[in-house]
Amino acid sequence: MNSLVIMLLIYFAGAILVYAANKFSAVLRDVIVVLAGLLPVALFFSIPAFEAFQFRIAGFDLFWDLGSLAYIFEALVVVVGAASLVYAISYMKGKKNLGYFYMNFFLSLGSMTGILMSQDLISFFIFWEIMTWSSYFIVVFNGYKTNKIGLTYIFFSALGAYAMLTAIVMINTQTGSTMWNDFFIAFAGMSSHYQLLISILFIFGFGVKAAMMPLHIWAADAYSHSPMAYTATFSGVLSKMGVYGLALVMIKLALVSNHFVFSQVIAWLGAVTAALATIYALIQKDIRKLLAYSSVAQLGYIITGIAVGTAMSFMAGIYLAVLHGLFKAALFMVAGAVEKQAGTTDMHKLRALIRKMPLTFITAMVAIIALAGIPPLGGFVGKWMLYESLIGSNHYFLVIVIFFSSTAAFLYAYRFLYGIFLGQEEEEFAHVKEAPLMMLIPMLFFTVLLIVTGTFPGIILGPVANAMNHGMGFRGVQWEMSVLTNVYGDSIHLSVISTIVVVVFIVFALFLILKGRKGTRYVTTKDIANSGEPVRPEDNYHFALDFYKPFERAMAPLYRFKMSEIYGNISDGLVSFFQFTRRLYSGNGQTYVYYVLLFIVILLVFSNQLINR
Amino acid sequence: MVISPIHYVAIPLLVAFLIPLVAKIGKNWARILPGLTLAYLNFVSVYLMTKVQETGIISESVGGWDAPVGINLVFSPLSGLLVSLITGIGFLVWLYSYQFKNVEKNESQKYFTLLLMLITGANGVILTGDIFNMFVFMEITAISAYALTAFYRHRNGAEAAFKYLLIGSLASTFMLLAIMLLYAQVGTLNMADIASKMDQVSSGMKVTIFILFLTGFGIEAEMFPLNGWAPDAYTEAPGPIGAVFASAVVKAGVYAMARVVFTLFGYGDSPVEILIIMGVITMAIAEFSAFRQEKLKRMLAYSSIGQMGLVIAAFGLGTKAGVFAALFIMVNHALIKSLLFLSGTYMVYHSKEKLIAELNGMAKELPVTAALFAFGALAIAGFPPFSGFWSKVYFLIAAADQKMVFLIIMVLLVTTVEVLYYFKVINRMYFHKPEMELEYRRPSTNALISMFVLTAVILWISFFPDTVMGYIDAAANDLVNRAGYINLVLNR
Amino acid sequence: MNIQDFINFLVYGTAIFLIIGGLYAVLTKKYLTKIVIGLSIMDAGINLLLIAIGYTYKGTAPIFSPAVEGKTVTMVDPVPQALVLTAIVIGFGVTAVALSLVIRLYRHHNTLCIDNIKNLKW
Repeated sequence: MNSLVIMLLIYFAGAILVYAANKFSAVLRDVIVVLAGLLPVALFFSIPAFEAFQFRIAGFDLFWDLGSLAYIFEALVVVVGAASLVYAISYMKGKKNLGYFYMNFFLSLGSMTGILMSQDLISFFIFWEIMTWSSYFIVVFNGYKTNKIGLTYIFFSALGAYAMLTAIVMINTQTGSTMWNDFFIAFAGMSSHYQLLISILFIFGFGVKAAMMPLHIWAADAYSHSPMAYTATFSGVLSKMGVYGLALVMIKLALVSNHFVFSQVIAWLGAVTAALATIYALIQKDIRKLLAYSSVAQLGYIITGIAVGTAMSFMAGIYLAVLHGLFKAALFMVAGAVEKQAGTTDMHKLRALIRKMPLTFITAMVAIIALAGIPPLGGFVGKWMLYESLIGSNHYFLVIVIFFSSTAAFLYAYRFLYGIFLGQEEEEFAHVKEAPLMMLIPMLFFTVLLIVTGTFPGIILGPVANAMNHGMGFRGVQWEMSVLTNVYGDSIHLSVISTIVVVVFIVFALFLILKGRKGTRYVTTKDIANSGEPVRPEDNYHFALDFYKPFERAMAPLYRFKMSEIYGNISDGLVSFFQFTRRLYSGNGQTYVYYVLLFIVILLVFSNQLINR
Repeated sequence: MVISPIHYVAIPLLVAFLIPLVAKIGKNWARILPGLTLAYLNFVSVYLMTKVQETGIISESVGGWDAPVGINLVFSPLSGLLVSLITGIGFLVWLYSYQFKNVEKNESQKYFTLLLMLITGANGVILTGDIFNMFVFMEITAISAYALTAFYRHRNGAEAAFKYLLIGSLASTFMLLAIMLLYAQVGTLNMADIASKMDQVSSGMKVTIFILFLTGFGIEAEMFPLNGWAPDAYTEAPGPIGAVFASAVVKAGVYAMARVVFTLFGYGDSPVEILIIMGVITMAIAEFSAFRQEKLKRMLAYSSIGQMGLVIAAFGLGTKAGVFAALFIMVNHALIKSLLFLSGTYMVYHSKEKLIAELNGMAKELPVTAALFAFGALAIAGFPPFSGFWSKVYFLIAAADQKMVFLIIMVLLVTTVEVLYYFKVINRMYFHKPEMELEYRRPSTNALISMFVLTAVILWISFFPDTVMGYIDAAANDLVNRAGYINLVLNR
Repeated sequence: MNIQDFINFLVYGTAIFLIIGGLYAVLTKKYLTKIVIGLSIMDAGINLLLIAIGYTYKGTAPIFSPAVEGKTVTMVDPVPQALVLTAIVIGFGVTAVALSLVIRLYRHHNTLCIDNIKNLKW
């Protein structure tokens, strides 16, 4: 049987089985979760090439095959999906409705696989919508308070999906086919009117899932309020489906080369998304929110990279997309571990968990290094390539914006580490223990993966370059396992940097171990923080409070501008309009009779127009 | 006994008036007999549908007088499809209502008599080939619908029924006026005969007749602004009757409208842009109003109106693809909206106000019913892979073929509103905590069976759409092929 | 104006007058029974119009009988008369349902003013 179909079947059958198993026994359910999560990983990496699969339904030809670009994203889906599922077993322990949770989890994994393997627009859309509603059902998993967040999410998703559907039916009319490839070929021959409309509709549709400005409004809330086990996949992988779509549309339709303005607009939207989301991430006190905004910001870089569309920037975009999937999954898992063990995710309350949760800390630190773009980890590679490609293609202002947000990202990244893990210990968190093993395994797995991919970015760059050379229309894209080069002839040897870092780390660790023999001295907060002054309870503030006050003051005008308010006003206006239409049904029978007469009289009066049509 | 289309009209009508007699023999017979009748009609559907696929349109003359003179019944792929749908849903509604509130007690005679009359009327509207006959059947449908709306004494049923009656009488007035004008012009009442003589009518008169028909049938088809009766009637009628309204009464109205547009006038001759415009307005207003509803059944009613707007707009496209999409939406809507009404009814079974807010946390108490409702909501909002998606895609493709980008965008924007309010209800059922002690009632076995059958059919259409699309395609061909219909009925 | 035109004018005029009058009652009267009466008047007007369409000047009843056999006589069109019979029956049925609903409404609301019967709205 076709291996693609088998992968799909594993996920969808897993969804049904896990729901059924939940009725009988929790152990059986967990076993199925792990099996159905890990089986696709084994299958995916053991099969050298997937064969295509084709069938016909409802008058449409459906064609499934895994393209070379999709291959990269599919790897992300199976790996992050499996890790999140393993993590979820421990994380979700003790919660209700788990059958429902896992069912939707598997459905969204299966639908993402489906999206990536769809070579035709109809099955692409079908899987896209399954992904939307299955992820929606997890966003609202936490009950009443997530109601509005879920509705915002589904509203934007539906808008985006319907924009896509409009484009799809227009393509069907124009080309008489619903295949991606026919569309790519026929696109150049369409009238410019249609070209513009279809591109805008597609970019709108994908932009929603990729949280592009100004369609990002749902993202931060939805990411932060779904269970962290799912958010790892949601933010790490599901958002990448939008990136995948954008990459497909922008590059394959040659929007970046033929429609210069277009690519500039999208690139700038990406950059502004990055900058604004970073600024918002700075003032969050909830780590989940912080990470959510950070996700939006990272997606901004990715969009910019893809939209600029030179070989290197595209490579950087896809590389960052994969990397973001890995480290953001790790970070959300850290947030979930903290939430589960310490009982809160509020940085104003949390403190000094480093001794309680050392392994979680290491994961967080490695992931943060990757996020902030500090060598030797992957973020550095991605950002290096992005800067270089932007400068190389004369996008100086873009570089400034990206550089600004990337620098500001240091601030929230540091705050994240500091707020949770460092500082003075507190009685309140004395009982906190390290996360359970089942949660640590996926976290440490990502740690290792991040270090490896950081030192040898070629592991990811290789397939990316392969995809670009075969099928994306780029020619002769070069890559190397562990060396970064640029047009000016500079080269950076990552493995050397890594070696140095590791050596320094080991030396430092030795030093600490030797020093540590003397024994640790614990001090209380009051001793050092207040210079010996007695502290009243109301003064007993937290370091993480007002962490970046000066920065916030400097950026105050930006904080005053809230996208959500604009949308809020629009939705208020719409709702009162709906209220008005409702009032048309006044309840008085005679009014309805008036309506009928009015209708017929108006039609009779204008009957001349109806004849002379 | 030879199976013929007349059975659709004659047998339920006969049984409807036998019920009070039968009830004298044994109370339960009044409940069983309608079921047997409807089961037989479903058998007739299966038989005739296979026959019509082989031999083509079956035209049956009543009373031995042939077509333009006598009254004839036409069982074509189109009317066959709709009649099978109506009798099928009628049977499921009977099954559902077998043990239902007052029906279970001593009101069953009235209830089932009226139900059978309604089905008679709707079947008649769809089968008949005579325009005046169509009017008569429309009136039978309407009168039994008025009575069913007012079925419960303790509710506001009478109010809803009176409004329905008020507007329904206007509808019949306009219909009659149109039929009269038409008769004065062409001197015949047979639809095929009228269609063949339509050239004799002056264009001004044509438009007037068209507008009168549009208003008359538009009232039954819930077109805005003629649909003031609809939300009230759906709300106050017994729950399962809501399903019948959505699948029989409205379908009859829409069918009649389509027959007039496509067969009587011929697509090119009738000003059908008005259908697109009114369809979109109907859909938009209805879905917007549904968004702010507090009562479950009222929300479903507005949703039903919205779907009808979509159907009307699809007919207005006038191409075969448009007709196909319209019929597909009608089939899906009849099935899914019935499921929503049937499952929704049990969730507000004991409630007085039937508020959506009372559904909070209902999924805990009625897991199966709530799941079926949620499934129906997903399906009707057009979420793939469920059946509503296929019909929506075909509508959009038909619209795109006519280069109506604006129509597509309008319809999809309105659909997002629909998505939102259905998800709001789902959220309440699954994720809210009940504010008060829930009074609920588990569905009886027969009700569950009928809901499961509906679900199974919807799932079947979702995953094997090709099996139904053949029938719908034949039906669409039938409606578009005006000359074929005329020739066949008039034996040319 | 000859007699034929006059009769036509009279009949059509009366019919239209009845329809308009009935509509007026339906639209403006607040009393439910008056609305029902308005509906009936409207019905009567339509029926009259229907008859008028089938009417032929100096026509006889459309019945074949030995008395008229072999002679050429103008007969009125029988079809509208048949239709009117049906329409009258339907109108009767609708009126009966309407009146029973009015009784029900009065019991439920203790009023017959249509403006006060607005439990169902929006």
